[in-house]
Amino acid sequence: MRFVDEFRDAELGGALAREILSTVEPGRHYKIMEVCGGHTHSIYKYGVDDLLPANVELVHGPGCPVCVIPMGRVDDGIAIAHQPEVIFTCFGDMMRVPGSRGTLLEAKAQGADIRMVYSPLDAMRIAKSEPDRQVVFFAIGFETTAPSTALTLKRAKAEGLTNFSCICNHVTIVPPLRALLDSPDLRLDAFVGPGHVSTVVGARPFEFIPADYGKPIVVSGFEPVDILQSVVMILRQLQEGRCEVENQYKRVVPYQGNLRALEVMSEVFALRPHFEWRGLGFISQSGLRLSDAYADFDAEQRWPVPGVRVADPKACQCGEVLKGVIKPWECKVFGTACTPERPIGTCMVSSEGACAAYYNYGRFAREREVV
Amino acid sequence: MSEPALGCTDDHCITCGDVAVEVRVIMADEARELATGHDDSGVATEIDTTLVGPVAPGDRLLVHAGTAIARIGEEHAA
Repeated sequence: MRFVDEFRDAELGGALAREILSTVEPGRHYKIMEVCGGHTHSIYKYGVDDLLPANVELVHGPGCPVCVIPMGRVDDGIAIAHQPEVIFTCFGDMMRVPGSRGTLLEAKAQGADIRMVYSPLDAMRIAKSEPDRQVVFFAIGFETTAPSTALTLKRAKAEGLTNFSCICNHVTIVPPLRALLDSPDLRLDAFVGPGHVSTVVGARPFEFIPADYGKPIVVSGFEPVDILQSVVMILRQLQEGRCEVENQYKRVVPYQGNLRALEVMSEVFALRPHFEWRGLGFISQSGLRLSDAYADFDAEQRWPVPGVRVADPKACQCGEVLKGVIKPWECKVFGTACTPERPIGTCMVSSEGACAAYYNYGRFAREREVV
Repeated sequence: MSEPALGCTDDHCITCGDVAVEVRVIMADEARELATGHDDSGVATEIDTTLVGPVAPGDRLLVHAGTAIARIGEEHAA
């Protein structure tokens, strides 16, 4: 596969690891947050963490939409899924996210017609083939996924589909980053920026990070060499006293983003005044709803939903994990009461969740040599 | 259409906003801004190509949740 082979090259990875080692200042601790769950997954899948000196600490950010979905929104989805006329569709990982009274998978076992789809277009296809049923798509994801939902709704509108709607849980990346940067709990030196979100929004929206908070950010690809190179670029900025947005992932990320995607998103969505994030609480203007022009496709306007805020289970420390305050293995229930098979917290559900990544790749604790 | 390999696997999860896979176009429907392509494992899937403009067989696209979000092989300016 040409897109990835050169970015998994062991020799190149080794050379970058040596460059990192020669760039870090002994005695200085570097705390770098990878925003995106895809990066977290790659870091542990390929052992990128093992190539870093102990004083370069990677902190895992809130960039997995499954991990940040609050329990109340799952309950809202389940309430709609139980409507007799509804075929409820969602992505696979969403099926196992616990709400206050169980998961979508359990609701399916109780008789709700819930189907896994691979894309919003698949959900729309079901609506076209089942004209007597109401098909609801549980839309979730950052700006990478939101255009896909928006394009599908535009198609549904153009085709005059009246039995298709969506419950919109799309979120945007900049507000939670600002919330994290404002958090007194967390001290970060720099960010590895999200690669595929940036194919849509570009690298430009991250300019506030160096401008307002004085921290570098490097938008990065997802292969091990990409991530190592991004760490080198960050360390060089810190060494040279620079503080900028850099784009390591130029092979797919235009600095200005994808203008067509931004246009279709602004047509189909509008910002919610606030949206709840698991572990981070309510964040202003961080969630998307359907715009007034697409209100007919809003499942929340077609059926009543509980709309109740549900507190996370007390044992679960997803909030601290999502903010990078603790490592997954420091959570009281990690690997014991909470496992990928029976997750308590959302970070254990998705393969991109920090807890699942640690669990699946055997990171129950970490000891590394101090430089 | 067969079930695509572009869903949630050990390697990538379509739900988790930032994961995308490379797909090679095998057939394009320019009028509907759709294409059929296959990923590295050879599984065919339908792709919305609205965001990347007209495509032709052989083009390589980065696909997320059934939508092409970028073309592969175009180097962008910093």
